[in-house]
Amino acid sequence: MIKIEHLSKNFGTLNVLRDISVEIGEGEVVSIIGPSGTGKSTFLRCINLLDQPSGGSIRIRGVDILAPRTDIAKIRQKMNMVFQSFNLFSHLSVLENLTLAPVKLLGKSPEEARTKGLQLLKLVGLAEKYAFCPDELSGGQKQRVAIARCLAMEPEIILFDEPTSALDPTMISEVLSVIRRLARQGLTMLIVTHEMDFARDVSSRVLYMDEGVIYEQGRPREIFDSPKREKTRAFIRKQQSSFHHISSAVFDLYALNAEIEGFCSRLAVGLKSRQNLLLLVEEVLQLSIGSPSSFPLDLTVNYEEKTDMLELLCETPPGTMNPLQLEGEQAGIGLRIVTNILEKHEFQQSAEKNRLVLYLKKQ
Amino acid sequence: MNQIMRIRIVISVFLLAMSLVSCSGGDHASGSRSKGSVAVEDFSTKRIAVLLGSTHDQYARKHFPQATIQEYKSVPDMILAVKTGKADAGIYNSNQLPEVMHEQSGFMLVGKPLFSADIAVGIGKGNDGLRLSFNSFLEEIRRNGVYDDMVTRWLKTGDYRMPAIPEAPGDQGSIIVGMSYNMGLPFTAFSDNRLIGFNVEMVERFGAYLGKRVVYEDYEFGNLIAALVTGKIDMIGSLLAITEERKMKIDYSDPYINEDAYLFSLRKHVAQGGVQSGSGDAGDTFGTVISGIEQSFRSNIVEEDRWKLIVGGLWVTVVISFFATLLGTLFGGVICFLRMSKNRMFRGAARAYISIMRGTPVLVVLMLIFYVVFASVNIDPVMVAVIAFGMNFAAYVSEMYRSGIESIDRGQTEAGIAMGFSRFDVFRYIILPQTVVRILPVYKGEFISLVKMTSIVGYIAVQDLTKASDIIRSRTFDAFFPIIMVAVLYYLISWSLLFFLDRIEKKIDPKKRKQPSISTF
Repeated sequence: MIKIEHLSKNFGTLNVLRDISVEIGEGEVVSIIGPSGTGKSTFLRCINLLDQPSGGSIRIRGVDILAPRTDIAKIRQKMNMVFQSFNLFSHLSVLENLTLAPVKLLGKSPEEARTKGLQLLKLVGLAEKYAFCPDELSGGQKQRVAIARCLAMEPEIILFDEPTSALDPTMISEVLSVIRRLARQGLTMLIVTHEMDFARDVSSRVLYMDEGVIYEQGRPREIFDSPKREKTRAFIRKQQSSFHHISSAVFDLYALNAEIEGFCSRLAVGLKSRQNLLLLVEEVLQLSIGSPSSFPLDLTVNYEEKTDMLELLCETPPGTMNPLQLEGEQAGIGLRIVTNILEKHEFQQSAEKNRLVLYLKKQ
Repeated sequence: MNQIMRIRIVISVFLLAMSLVSCSGGDHASGSRSKGSVAVEDFSTKRIAVLLGSTHDQYARKHFPQATIQEYKSVPDMILAVKTGKADAGIYNSNQLPEVMHEQSGFMLVGKPLFSADIAVGIGKGNDGLRLSFNSFLEEIRRNGVYDDMVTRWLKTGDYRMPAIPEAPGDQGSIIVGMSYNMGLPFTAFSDNRLIGFNVEMVERFGAYLGKRVVYEDYEFGNLIAALVTGKIDMIGSLLAITEERKMKIDYSDPYINEDAYLFSLRKHVAQGGVQSGSGDAGDTFGTVISGIEQSFRSNIVEEDRWKLIVGGLWVTVVISFFATLLGTLFGGVICFLRMSKNRMFRGAARAYISIMRGTPVLVVLMLIFYVVFASVNIDPVMVAVIAFGMNFAAYVSEMYRSGIESIDRGQTEAGIAMGFSRFDVFRYIILPQTVVRILPVYKGEFISLVKMTSIVGYIAVQDLTKASDIIRSRTFDAFFPIIMVAVLYYLISWSLLFFLDRIEKKIDPKKRKQPSISTF
């Protein structure tokens, strides 16, 4: 269906896509993952020529879309896109957003387009909002309307460009479940996403992009559970950890808590474990504040899905005391709480830094 | 010396009284003698009103170096200045002052004539054919008594009726004559919606003599020579005194009349034996306003069908406003397109255009287009006004468009492109409707200021609403009523056009638009 060979894209001297070759078959659902800034979005935008490729070839159903004679607008009608920032037409009502293109481009009658539009709104659960302005909707609702707008053109291919990145965590799932539903209907879909769980269970294939190429690809299980190459492995591992740099004793505890909580909910960590983790982080930091030399402090939370193991790594400058061995008044209660929820801990000292690894008890 | 002065004044007042009697049938021309002795010299440190660009202007500058010279664009403005005390005295022609005094009591002449000048028709340099024709025409009417008859009727007995003039035989084309319509009787005035006066009759007779149709163009006196030099008109039919300076620029026919220039002032300023700098007769005006609105209404609107002038002017103002807005709106779109183009040259050109147009007074642009750009093209001044205001409007709205377009996030364009719309379709269906909603509030303000700005088109011989009121003022010498009336009319135009734009705004605002109910599907 889509055949891409040696695609490259430069922005000035910046080499974003170096050499990408991939073939995507009809009805495939392909997730594209990878670190930020490796050209995942650019790759998607090159496929419908929102960004003009610098080299290579793209064929869609055998048609070379880079050939000067090709009517790209006609091809785009069959290959719609869902954006990170929704991009609804703000002067039109929800339903009008869905009917504009079918009426103007496909020559449908307004009644026909409205009927179809309303059907699609039902599909994404927003039929009762048909007369609303986009401004009056929540982020998740906007994205669902945008998906419905896409479908109104009856496309064969849908490109999803980070469809949930601009959403509040509470709204992500409503959008993902709509996309999951579409994935079962035989549409060809390319999805750039940071939602690993979603990518794992929705896709037929996962592309890991790094360094401007498709670094590794395979079935979701191959990529997520047994990545073959070094960088893929690091990336997948990193998805299951959360890193925080704390530069001084007067840090923003609330923001830190929120980030860790977001991380836990993304990986579906149990509620009790989550609470214990937050408690542990707070107490360890509390103990560290006692000695100013413990900053800057690097916190890393790792989660091992298979074993359901939560681990907290705490790195401090060399020469710092192990906070768990503090004694006296200030250590008292805090220390007791910590030891209560810990499975075990390890403390290593070296010339570069001190490492304290804490393993949480399983719940 | 004093004695002689007094005798002079007595004689001049007597002459004035006689002329008033002769032209008005003797109503309020009481010819009261001033008790004090007032001479021209008494005004040498005062404020003197003159017509801009006239020989009076030159004379005053030369002979009253201590005085404050106030130059007015038109005769009625000048006379009003004296009447309301803005100036202590004015300078004007002997043949026209009686008419002024007939319409407005309270003026008197001061001293003897300042100077005397030959008046002729101005003709473009090198247009010897026309000049010689006029000279032989003049010779003919002097010989066959028509000229004497005209002088008797217009200048002596005050019979202001235009005689029937035989139509020009055949069609020999037309001749364009520049006049200041508000010069005043007995020479040129607008009455019953046509031009009348000594000069008008003379020009019409000359047209008939040539077998040509006469087309009049209305100019401020100070702009007549420029209009002749740039070929906008073929000849000047207003009272143009022969001076050496003007001869450098234009040619003259033989003189057809001789005018004495007089200093005139308000009687009450000079009556007390010395010149009092007046603070105007505000109290008096106020009284008239209260008691005489009906009278003003009659003289400014009803008499001589003057309302037709107002209606005509109103129409011209509306036409200019409408087409200038239309042109400016479209041309502004083009400028905006260039301004936002990827081509550096286009962008630079648009930017230069915008900065020049915004940095130059629209009046200057108007004159520039009329006298320079279309110097040798015969173009309807209304068209010039539409172009000038349209160009000015375009510069302002193009920047409005740009800010409107740039305020719409790029994402919507991308979404449109990605679903298969062409760039033009995206603009038409997505960008434009949103831009319109965003810029309309500012656009309305700009539009109103355009309507009001059109009040300066009188400079290029267009009779708009403001000019119509000028012409009425030139006949009634009433400042208050025509100005207030015009202010009210401008307000009404702006208000009704705004009302119209408000409706559009409501119609296109997505939040105010009604959505079809779900049951209709």
